[in-house]
Amino acid sequence: MQTRSMQTRQAKKWVDRAIIAVLLLMGILMLMPFFWLFSMSFRPAPEAYKMPPSFFPPSFDLSNYQTVLESSVPFLKIYWNSLYVAVLVTIGQLITCTLAAFAYARLRFPGRDSLFFVMLIGLMFPAQVTILPIYLGYAKLGLLNNPLGLVLMGLTSSFGVFMLRQFLRSQPKELEEAALMDGAGYFKIFWRISLPQLMPALGALAIITFTGAWNSYFQPRALIESQAAMTLPIAMDLLRGYMSQGNLSVVMAAMSMAILPVVLLFLVAQKMVIEGVTFSGIRA
Amino acid sequence: MQAGYIFVLPSILLYAAFVLAPVAITIILSFTYYDISFGADWVGFENYVRFLTEPRSLEIFWNTLRFAFLAVSFNVAVGLILALALNRAMPKFLLYFFRLAFFLPVIISAAFVAVVWSYFYSVDFGVINYYLGQIGLPQVPWLSSSKFAMTSIVIMDVWKNTGFFMIILIAALQGVPRPIMDAASMDGASAWRRFGRITLPFISPVLFFCIVFASIGALQVFESIMILTGGGPGDSTRSLSIYLVDEAFGSFELGYAAAVSVIMMILVLIITIIQIIGSRRWVRE
Repeated sequence: MQTRSMQTRQAKKWVDRAIIAVLLLMGILMLMPFFWLFSMSFRPAPEAYKMPPSFFPPSFDLSNYQTVLESSVPFLKIYWNSLYVAVLVTIGQLITCTLAAFAYARLRFPGRDSLFFVMLIGLMFPAQVTILPIYLGYAKLGLLNNPLGLVLMGLTSSFGVFMLRQFLRSQPKELEEAALMDGAGYFKIFWRISLPQLMPALGALAIITFTGAWNSYFQPRALIESQAAMTLPIAMDLLRGYMSQGNLSVVMAAMSMAILPVVLLFLVAQKMVIEGVTFSGIRA
Repeated sequence: MQAGYIFVLPSILLYAAFVLAPVAITIILSFTYYDISFGADWVGFENYVRFLTEPRSLEIFWNTLRFAFLAVSFNVAVGLILALALNRAMPKFLLYFFRLAFFLPVIISAAFVAVVWSYFYSVDFGVINYYLGQIGLPQVPWLSSSKFAMTSIVIMDVWKNTGFFMIILIAALQGVPRPIMDAASMDGASAWRRFGRITLPFISPVLFFCIVFASIGALQVFESIMILTGGGPGDSTRSLSIYLVDEAFGSFELGYAAAVSVIMMILVLIITIIQIIGSRRWVRE
């Protein structure tokens, strides 16, 4: 009996090891596109058509990066547009969603629950259902081909309001009630008590919103045509077409720069990113 | 007491302007023939009739459903297998590596990685065909043949999204009560039997959520197809989202495009209703 259980335990250990070995192999395969992307971006011109491309670049040649920056596609301007949109959308959502979440979770006013319900319905509409009227409206207002248009439409989200409200409701509200008794104003209570309570959730929301805006493709694609107003995801397509006859490594250099912020964010805040993204369920 | 309105005002105004009003206008637009310079003409259900009778739009509709079916099945199945494989004791750095490897594709936009994949798939210069050639297999026209294009897109989609379902299913698996599992293995229940009788029933609500969630995302598929094939060859990989953009911004058939988007909304709505009914059933049982 004793030996048998020892044998099964031994067998189980080997199964565990085999599974982990297979997983490791798969993990490396999963990362392959990223390895390739980075290593190709450093390939010197003579190696540009080498087959198969090497996993490790023979040297860290930055000339492809230089070519991107000097090409006729205004890459720096496009990069700036992406940052501008993602940062402003993130700040905007943090402000509007926090304010609303505070009211829905902590204040009482007529129609509160119906308003919240109407806001929740927004989770159901795909971006495809709102894009045409936004396009027509922006055409009238001169906001087509303008990154500001992308900012405006992203300044609030049903998801952000929902997430922060749920979070705040899970926190104790005695402090707020006591402050109210002492005659503190609503804004003071919001600023001094609720906002600090919300901090962990705000970090997650900021990460989700930033990556979402950084990765967004459908809306920019519909609303922006001019190169000077593009964001990175739609510009990749452009760069690829533009350089299709030329050096692939140059496109990879542009791509490396484009995915860098999200990769870095993931490397340093892996847990928070995963928790945030799985909670929201965004598909980048 | 009225202070609440001031706090919710910014989000409500923005929401009304960028979600509620556009949805309402899209629905109205879908019953019109809309011309940018001349305005709208009421045409009743004509746009919907066109969608439901034209062979091209029906092909695109079925393409989208076919893509959704394949992508959802493989994303969730592979995610479940990975979750089962990963749900065991292992050193911290390995866990970090696996999360990195399987989740990084989830958070990088398909718009970026699809460009890399289109090089993998390239017939003459592609890495995949190069290796196939090395082991003596014929070249595959991954994206240029209507026979393979949809499969190639599904493969990339699974690579990109399966990690999401893996993470959610790992969390679900960790909720399976240990004592029941231990008791079952003491009684000599095989691993398969334990999986079928204990694990699967226990995680089925989460599995159901994954399927619903994957379906909603897959029905809206856009950038990966846009970059890999642009909808071709022919219409063999064209999805509803791409069709909508083509009709709206290519041929400026805005009324018809609005009808396409309402149809997409109805599909998402149907899935959401199935989810609500389904999750009620889970709760009751």
